[in-house]
Amino acid sequence: MIFKTLNSKNMKTKTLYILTILLVANLFSACDNDFDEINTNKVDPTSLAPTFVMNKAIISTTYLDGVSTLGMLCYNFGIVQQVITPYGSSLSGGNYNQFNNANTPLVWVNFYRNVIKQIVAVVEQTKDDPLQKNTYNAARIWKAYAFMILTDTYGDIPYFEAGQGYINELIRPKYDAQEAIYKDILKELDEASAALDLSQAAVTTDILYGGNVAKWKKLGYSLMLRAGMRLSKVDETTAKNYVTKAVAGGLFESNADNSVIRHTAIWNNYIANHLAAREKTNFYLAAPFVNYLKENNDPRLPVFAVRYVGAKGGPEQTGARASSDPKVQIGMPMGYNDVTINSVLAQNGVVSLWDFTQINLTTVLKLDAPEFHVTYAENQLLLAEAAFRGWVTGEPAAYYAKGIRANLEQMALYDASATIKEDAILAYLAAHPLTAGKELDLINTQYWVATFLDGSECFANFRRSGFPALKKNPYPGSEIKEDFIRRMPYPDGEIIVNLQNVNDAIARQGANDLNTRVWWDKK
Amino acid sequence: MKKHVTIILLLWLCQLPIFAQNKITGKVSSPDGLALPGVNIQISGSTQGTATDAEGKYILNAPSDATLVFSFIGYISQMIKVDNRSVIDVTLDPESKNLNEVVITALGIKKEAKTLGYATATVNADQISTNRSPNVMSSLQGKMAGVNISTLSTGPAGTAKIRIRGQSSFSGQNSPLIVINGVPIDNSNFAGGGDYGARSANNSDGGDGLSSINPDDIESMTVLKGATAAALYGSRAKDGVVMITTKSRGTGKGLGLDYNMNFTTDTPLDFTDFQYEYGQGEGGVRPTSENPTSGVWSFGEKFQPGMKQILFDNEEYPYEPVYNRVRKFYNVGTNLTNTITVSNNGVNGGFSMSLANTDNKGIVPNSKFNRKTVNIGFSQNISKRLTASGNINYSKEKNTNPPQLDAQDFATPTVLFTLANSMPFEALEKNQTHPNGDEFVFSRFLVRNNLYYSVNKHFENITRDRLFGNVALKYEFTNWLYLQLRVAQDFYVRNQDYNIPNGYAPIAKAPTGFVNGSYTQDVRRNTERNLDFILGGNHTFGNIGVDVTLGGNQRYARMDYNSVTVQDFIQPGLYTVMNGRVKNPLYSLSEKKINSLYGAATISYKEFLYLNVTARNDWFSTLAPQNRSILYPSVTGSFIFSQAFSALPAWLSFGKLRAAYAQVGSDNVQPYSNALYYSVDNNLFPNPSGQLVPVGGINTSLVPNKNLRPLRVKEVEGGIELKLFNNAIGFDFTYYHKTTDDQILAAQISDASSYTNQLINVGRSKNQGIEFLLTGAPVNTKSFRWDVSFNASYNTSKVIKLGLSDKDTVITVGGGGGRTLNEVVGKPIGQLYTFTYLRDAQGRQVFDKNSGLPMRNNTLKNVGNALPKYFGGITNTFTYKGITLSALIDFKLGYKMIAGRNINYMRHGLSKRTLPGRAEGYVIGNGVNPDGEINKTKSAVQPFYESINPLGINEDFVSNAGFWKLRQLTLSYDFGKLLPQDWFIQGLRLSAVANNVLIIKKWTENMDPEEVLNSSDNAAGLDFWPGLPPTRSLGFNLSLRF
Repeated sequence: MIFKTLNSKNMKTKTLYILTILLVANLFSACDNDFDEINTNKVDPTSLAPTFVMNKAIISTTYLDGVSTLGMLCYNFGIVQQVITPYGSSLSGGNYNQFNNANTPLVWVNFYRNVIKQIVAVVEQTKDDPLQKNTYNAARIWKAYAFMILTDTYGDIPYFEAGQGYINELIRPKYDAQEAIYKDILKELDEASAALDLSQAAVTTDILYGGNVAKWKKLGYSLMLRAGMRLSKVDETTAKNYVTKAVAGGLFESNADNSVIRHTAIWNNYIANHLAAREKTNFYLAAPFVNYLKENNDPRLPVFAVRYVGAKGGPEQTGARASSDPKVQIGMPMGYNDVTINSVLAQNGVVSLWDFTQINLTTVLKLDAPEFHVTYAENQLLLAEAAFRGWVTGEPAAYYAKGIRANLEQMALYDASATIKEDAILAYLAAHPLTAGKELDLINTQYWVATFLDGSECFANFRRSGFPALKKNPYPGSEIKEDFIRRMPYPDGEIIVNLQNVNDAIARQGANDLNTRVWWDKK
Repeated sequence: MKKHVTIILLLWLCQLPIFAQNKITGKVSSPDGLALPGVNIQISGSTQGTATDAEGKYILNAPSDATLVFSFIGYISQMIKVDNRSVIDVTLDPESKNLNEVVITALGIKKEAKTLGYATATVNADQISTNRSPNVMSSLQGKMAGVNISTLSTGPAGTAKIRIRGQSSFSGQNSPLIVINGVPIDNSNFAGGGDYGARSANNSDGGDGLSSINPDDIESMTVLKGATAAALYGSRAKDGVVMITTKSRGTGKGLGLDYNMNFTTDTPLDFTDFQYEYGQGEGGVRPTSENPTSGVWSFGEKFQPGMKQILFDNEEYPYEPVYNRVRKFYNVGTNLTNTITVSNNGVNGGFSMSLANTDNKGIVPNSKFNRKTVNIGFSQNISKRLTASGNINYSKEKNTNPPQLDAQDFATPTVLFTLANSMPFEALEKNQTHPNGDEFVFSRFLVRNNLYYSVNKHFENITRDRLFGNVALKYEFTNWLYLQLRVAQDFYVRNQDYNIPNGYAPIAKAPTGFVNGSYTQDVRRNTERNLDFILGGNHTFGNIGVDVTLGGNQRYARMDYNSVTVQDFIQPGLYTVMNGRVKNPLYSLSEKKINSLYGAATISYKEFLYLNVTARNDWFSTLAPQNRSILYPSVTGSFIFSQAFSALPAWLSFGKLRAAYAQVGSDNVQPYSNALYYSVDNNLFPNPSGQLVPVGGINTSLVPNKNLRPLRVKEVEGGIELKLFNNAIGFDFTYYHKTTDDQILAAQISDASSYTNQLINVGRSKNQGIEFLLTGAPVNTKSFRWDVSFNASYNTSKVIKLGLSDKDTVITVGGGGGRTLNEVVGKPIGQLYTFTYLRDAQGRQVFDKNSGLPMRNNTLKNVGNALPKYFGGITNTFTYKGITLSALIDFKLGYKMIAGRNINYMRHGLSKRTLPGRAEGYVIGNGVNPDGEINKTKSAVQPFYESINPLGINEDFVSNAGFWKLRQLTLSYDFGKLLPQDWFIQGLRLSAVANNVLIIKKWTENMDPEEVLNSSDNAAGLDFWPGLPPTRSLGFNLSLRF
């Protein structure tokens, strides 16, 4: 019956059409029906709790891999003459006073790509949420800290438009004058520190302070003290104003308040990781640093130093030869490369360049050694200077002694074996009073020691204070005009993709080289 | 769907004969008397018809005054009047091969070449399988006009880069679509990349999708060059299509057995011209103790007879040049492929089944590759109207220690080509590890590690199990209407694991109780599924023929990726994920769908005028909802004037004009590019009270774009084809002009934005060019024949618009170390830039006053275009009494590269450019200081030559990247005639082959310009790490037919 009906040719054709249409409809009922679902990433979320993201920003502030630490190893540590390498080419930098475009951009790249990106996202996510008030203000403080490192390193930088590649599609941010940046950093620290609310519940997932709001507040004011003091050469009024404000707000009260990243066997200290492996045989403690510590019988020397006595090559830098005895430490003299150094080995009392003192890998550079962002010791030393300048009340010498003591006690945080005993502390303090007439030198030289391995801060305070009174690195192939490198040039990447804004900054600030002084580094 | 087919089937089975007619019988044969099965016989003007059986016989009822049309692909159709006859025997003449070549076009539809309005190029099985290079695609180098192929010289499992008619979009995907038996396959490449320390510490060339294919299974390979040819394949075909047809049934009659053996050796070639006057050492001093572990520096002393050096193993060696480094370390590689094919061909169908095994021993020690493939193709008439066909390819690939490239660490070329020129290889081979298993360090440059250590202690295994193929059912409702349903899937599981060995020096020691090292285990599961239907019909109305195709396709692609990396081990030497101290698992999933509907119509007039119109609509899951759908058309025409006009001179055997216009749209972007995603880190971090807390953040450096639109390609082409003097000379010429709009690009942006790249729809570029093919036989006597085939292409491009506003005139798509690849408005795609030496107004080079080192001009300079303008090849084939000698010379010309590896050769003291000043012990740069005074500052030799590396000054190494090469030589003899008539072996051919024989002309320093390291378009012309040395392959091919 059915067959018969369907048998007519017309009907067949019709059925065919219907079937075809059905078939097409089956396949393409709605041509983009499930596309929204298909194009949704089912593995990665589109948001995360802001505190986890802030944790990422904080971890990224120290470096996330070994190669990125070369900015510190090759420039900052070398310029302040604490750590140097005799080698050139990819390791050249502060050791030769030369430009090396592989290492000068590392601070920029790490901070903008890793720290600023995450911290801007946290600020953005929390700014309108009253329940996230403390996370929001903590993030502002961290952001201010990260930008200080950036501007201290490069001078005029993208600030107001930075980190907004996604949020506002600002892909070629304009550069702001450092003066404006510092004003805003101080304002941010002021507002954010004051706005932190002690009555709100603690966000314990915070890796820095476990949600202790009082400590975040102290960090905010401690950074304000640092930022205020940074302007001492260029704008005393503002400097004094904010230093006073910081003291009134409340600073760190002990080493327990320090801002520190506690590296682990998984989340390594990457300076340590790099010097324990790939660059193990290439970096040495510099003579000016070792000699200073030796001459002052500094109990920190064995904590910082190790010498593989008699090593004639990298493979001979073995545990059996290791000695941290202050008496045997010999710093590598400034001004030599890996070939010319061979002419001064004998006069330095070493058998090879591998025989010079290196950084101690069992204490300050254990793979899980902590890295300090801001410390109580630094606070006290800055207060000593502020008091000496008459900006704050109190005895400079008392602050000075507290600062030194705090830093000596801080050594225990690296490793129990690095603990400096009380009698040694007392002896050192007794031998190092704040001698009248040499206050700035003494205070800032102690700051230099206290910021060992915090390359950004050490380099910045050296430029601001002019102390310690280091001699010019005598390397014969120097490319710089003054005695010291004053700044890192902008990365080549900026010249390539953001040239107009770079040129505006150069017109305002000066040549894009190692010589140009940043705004607060007034001659 | 199945139900529908059944209903249709039932419908047709119930059909009753409508007419009663005369019975006609007969036999159809070829001129040599062989029966032709499957010849289509149709009653003109009706839908009635039949086909011949296995013996070439047919029975048909037809009116006594009817006209029968006998047609068979490859033969000239005949129209014969019945005239009351009841027996009609017909002899069909084969179409002259050149005139009526059948081409497989989009969707696997066979068409006669003469009907096409666009350019295609086809190579047959012989050209691919006889003289083969390690990589399938590279055997096509220089053979097809407009097709530019380059490979990484990493053997049969390596990656090939194919560009047809040049690179059209600034970055992203410019590779042609690979289609096998009418269905696209995944051709993702796994060529290395990434930095030390990252998960991608592995930098091997893991190959691409094409490496699953056995060349012997290929029946033909057709390249559809333009957007027009590809209009029906849609988005992924914007850069053309490589269509591979594998064997699906026998070629002869009945059962056939073929055996093919191919054996080749790959000899690494050395193009370095290093200095061998001053030996190992630094600062002009040779090693005299185990300690100055210079290893990779040749800034030592001048070689004098009898001099000694003490090396890192504390042994004394003669201080003398060590030549021939490439052959001292790399092996002669071998490739052996055995293929057996069984096939059958009958009236109701046929099949072809092949089994093949390929064994490759790479030039890098311990590197090998095995591929086993099974390929089954079949075609069967289930009933008169219903045909089932399919192709299934299974391949099992095992790639052991694929070469590491484009990095430091375990990449052997990086170390080999920087090794000090007096380093004895036996010292390295003897001293790989200390007794405790730690690496025996031979240079203070730790990541220039011992080559032998790399190949013996670092391992990598890649296996891929892959099944791809399709099955199709085709139902012919009538002689002129059919429906085809097809399901195709390409599925593979790719396992990969690799290590960083215990005791490797550049990584930190593990905590107490563990040994250092790492191990990674990856699994990828990839599915690409295509469902499609085609409804096709054709009809002839007098002189006018109409051929209509409607179709739809759904493509779904999914990749699951699981990976675990562990770091530090409990048990030394046990590389497993369980044995690791720190574990980092990763999982990702990527899905994508494209739905399409399309239609095509061909209208012909008297077999000399053809008009073809297509339209396709795609919907992309990857794009913004409002931009997902795109409709694009094509129109092509072909006019065979030699057939249209009878008054043409006799020497013009064939003449055709063709013209085409097409549009294609493409998404050209990864899934999930529309949003910003976060990820949680594997490892928790302790808060101050020791509680472990989560860490996470934004996980991309690419700014996503919520509003992406499809890019569009518009292409116009025209061409002429001529055959002269009875096909003795053939000439084919094509002009094309292609505009690409709204390209989706990851443009480099300021780091201060916190991102490195932004995805944008940006700009317009155009490509235009000509393709030219000339074939001829200058000598053609009875015993001797000389054939020449010459193809050449000219392609040029221009960037017309970039960025979002007119102010955007430059974007950077790739680069590093002072070398960048930019797109610049008004210039061809792919502009190379580098930093240059600082010069004063008079052009004198400026040196630093204190250091005497060269200074840098901080503005990048444009130094040329990275893409070839001209390329092509000339094949000469001489045949004398069954002996064939064929030679292919190919060329690429008109482009530049930055041979940046020479910076390393400078820095390591190997370049001859580092000789000036060595005798004196200092260099005084020829130029001035910044004050304009003549430079007199002495600079030490080594720092002087090292200085350009950190400054990124590459101007000395900008070079013409062109070349002329003798690419292939083939000598073969067909023993067929010598075999006894009834012997069990019916055919025997033996060929001797040579590939990559000789560089006739090149301009680059210390390298073959074709040694590329990276198949990415974002790195075109940018060279830094040396690649594996190119190889010359020699071998033979034996082909037997039973």
